[in-house]
Amino acid sequence: MILSESARVTTAHEASFRIQYPNSKPRAVKVIALDAGSAKLVDEIAKLNWHGAAFFTSLSFDAGSAPGGTDGKTLKAWLNDLAGRTMDLVSEVAGADCVVVVATAGKDVQSAAVIAEVCTLHHKTLIALVVPEDNAPDDQIDVSLRALRPYAKMLVIAHGRDYIEAMLTALRA
Amino acid sequence: MLKKEQNELVTQTGPGTPMGDLFRSYWQPILISSELPENDCPPVRVKVLSERLVAFRDSEGKLGLIDEFCAHRGVSLWFGRNEECGLRCPYHGWKFDTTGQCVEVPSEPAESGYAAKIKLKSYPLIEKGGILWTYMGPAESQPTLPEWEFTNVPLENIFVSKRLQENNWLQAMEGGIDSSHVSFLHRGDLNNDPLFKGAAGNKYNLADSKPVFEVVEHPGGLYIGARRNAEDGKYYWRITPWVMPSFTMVPPRGDHPIHGHFWVPIDDESCTAWSFDYHPVRPLHAEERIAMQNGKGIHVKYVPGTFRPLANKDNDYLIDREAQKAGRTFSGVEGIGMQDASLQESMGPICDRTKENLVGTDNGIIMARHRLMRAAKALREKGTLPPGRESEHQKIRSAAVILPPDQPYKDAAREALIAKPGTPQTTV
Repeated sequence: MILSESARVTTAHEASFRIQYPNSKPRAVKVIALDAGSAKLVDEIAKLNWHGAAFFTSLSFDAGSAPGGTDGKTLKAWLNDLAGRTMDLVSEVAGADCVVVVATAGKDVQSAAVIAEVCTLHHKTLIALVVPEDNAPDDQIDVSLRALRPYAKMLVIAHGRDYIEAMLTALRA
Repeated sequence: MLKKEQNELVTQTGPGTPMGDLFRSYWQPILISSELPENDCPPVRVKVLSERLVAFRDSEGKLGLIDEFCAHRGVSLWFGRNEECGLRCPYHGWKFDTTGQCVEVPSEPAESGYAAKIKLKSYPLIEKGGILWTYMGPAESQPTLPEWEFTNVPLENIFVSKRLQENNWLQAMEGGIDSSHVSFLHRGDLNNDPLFKGAAGNKYNLADSKPVFEVVEHPGGLYIGARRNAEDGKYYWRITPWVMPSFTMVPPRGDHPIHGHFWVPIDDESCTAWSFDYHPVRPLHAEERIAMQNGKGIHVKYVPGTFRPLANKDNDYLIDREAQKAGRTFSGVEGIGMQDASLQESMGPICDRTKENLVGTDNGIIMARHRLMRAAKALREKGTLPPGRESEHQKIRSAAVILPPDQPYKDAAREALIAKPGTPQTTV
């Protein structure tokens, strides 16, 4: 220890001098359910008290509407908030600090590719949670892991709603 | 981030606390066997889970772990005479056997039966894998003996050390499941430490400081898989198992011994960091054992005659700013074990998690906390015994593998993650 220093690593008493102030600003976490089962979970979680979390579904996603699709739909047509309003994926992701997609194991997650592409464009971290239904066989989980692995910075198999709540709380959503 | 009450729940392990009850559901390592080297050797003071105890090996080799303080007037039995199948208080000669039963009160007639009415609290103490283990929970819930792989290989295949860590157990344990710090804090050691260098996998660690993670639950805890790019579009996976409440294993490197930790609370502001190295199929080489004794790998050098690291908070961990500037060490602290311990102790005796800002890659830590709180609550409210007690949950290994991109490690490395006697570790 340099003798002029006035603090050092020692006791609980010394640790209590850690200064008190908010060391972060509220964070915007965008949570997107990729299928009907996860939409139900997300809908329940959204009813809790959150600071900077917003909740969406991609149930209207149609692979043909994705960039390069041919059916004439736009990128803006399929992201919905929980009231059913169409939202703009690009602006939602651009305004996010982090994006969380939630998928029921074994269900279609095609929209994740487009969400990931927008996340990459805007340099946002994508977290993917795979929620197995009760007694879901391993191969359903594997399907989801395989599908989401190319896109997610963090891929988690999360049994049940309570873990999703815990994670969002831990992330100060 | 945890709420204040959640942080208190997971960090407090004294008697009667929910997390204390959880820890008391498992066998805990408390002493290296050599601390009680022979019959009638000096007793050893033990503080674990905020309880002060004394351990001794009696004249017949029976192990005892009893309340540290004499039932007469509260003298520490650490001063006791270990003789003729009991520990005798030097103050007035009261004597206790390994079960805590008072067997002699010299001031009272033996025929009076006075001694039979005096009994100190005691816990079972058993020896396995060069370690003495205790179980401090209800007798009716005592699990089977520890089945961690390193406790079942020949003693010449194992090296075990422990060190005093001057902070709460949880922040230490969380370092064990936080794979992303390796590319920063330990990067100077991957190619220099004799117990790490030379492994083919090191190059992937050093080339990619932003791994991608997958967290998968297993019945006893979690697997945390950290993925980095390898050649030909394949992935290099390092898979760290965590078994409740505080067992972690580091993924192997080449043919070096595998290593891991237990983090056992001494009290709420300190813990014992247990570090073990073992090779499943061969004795440790002499040079490996010497390196471990000299504080290499995950082990540390000690203040002579103690388990306190030589580099400690009173000497600012012997920080070397020149080495830090030159890149020989990332933090300026020498040795992998002390690099971890110094930063974890710097968080304060009990980390204030209300102030932290976690990110997505901290999901392993988030899920471990979640499982701990859920298990503590289930035990308290429903009497549900927690995961990690069964031998099948303990027969587990870390692994390092290279896999094609479409293969989930939990399936492709399933066999590699099971400890099978006589089978070498899966490593890169």
